[in-house]
Amino acid sequence: MNKFQKNRSGIKSWLNPWGYGIERIAYWLMRITGIGLLIYFIIHIYETSSILDGKAAWNKMLELTQTTEGHIILMIVIGMSTFHAINGIRIMLGHGGIGVGKPGRPDYPYLPKSQNMKNKLCIYAAIGLAALAMLYGAEIMFSE
Amino acid sequence: MFKESVVMKIHYSTALGSVALVAIHIMFRLTQNFHDSLQFDNVLINYSILSYSILLESILILISIHGFNGLRIILLELNQGKIYENIVTYGCLASMIVLITYGSRTILMTSMGMI
Repeated sequence: MNKFQKNRSGIKSWLNPWGYGIERIAYWLMRITGIGLLIYFIIHIYETSSILDGKAAWNKMLELTQTTEGHIILMIVIGMSTFHAINGIRIMLGHGGIGVGKPGRPDYPYLPKSQNMKNKLCIYAAIGLAALAMLYGAEIMFSE
Repeated sequence: MFKESVVMKIHYSTALGSVALVAIHIMFRLTQNFHDSLQFDNVLINYSILSYSILLESILILISIHGFNGLRIILLELNQGKIYENIVTYGCLASMIVLITYGSRTILMTSMGMI
């Protein structure tokens, strides 16, 4: 028998967060925001390197990024990073056994103890705080 | 290379470090008007502060390690196999080194006034 099971449904089912509750949505958001932040980070390293080409190159880069579209992208980055950080801390605590409840006998309806209300609230709080951080960022960027 | 438990400890410690240092990095942008803080001369002044350059270099290293390890984890969730896992692991490691080198070049040259 093959040592590794084939991932038959592949990336299509990975990209579909629905049907398994808020924890599945958080799992999906964590990965999507992670990839988004890595892409932003690479672009950020590249754009800031324009400082080596002098003031004209730096100002040209600012003209590209300090626009309404640039500010909207930055707002999305603020939201992604806030959610990723808060949900990441929740996951870290969970891996450390904090907030996942005590192990118990599996009784009907077989709800996992780890997927308790505390964790669900944390996910909703992460989404809410990400939205607030986006609004705060928008207020700073668009009020100038 | 490393045990997966050690890799996860590195992943979590780089995450916590990044959150703390990026918060300071963002606060630097808010010490004055956001648009003004991005002006060429102001950015040069930021780079000339040694502690700030060290902060930027630390952020670069921490986020690169965390980001590319995260990407490795995502790619390994999608597919498995010895060759695939080696390609993903070494590919992410190489990309991480390239990004750190490229970013460090900007930080070093700017902070040393080589513009």
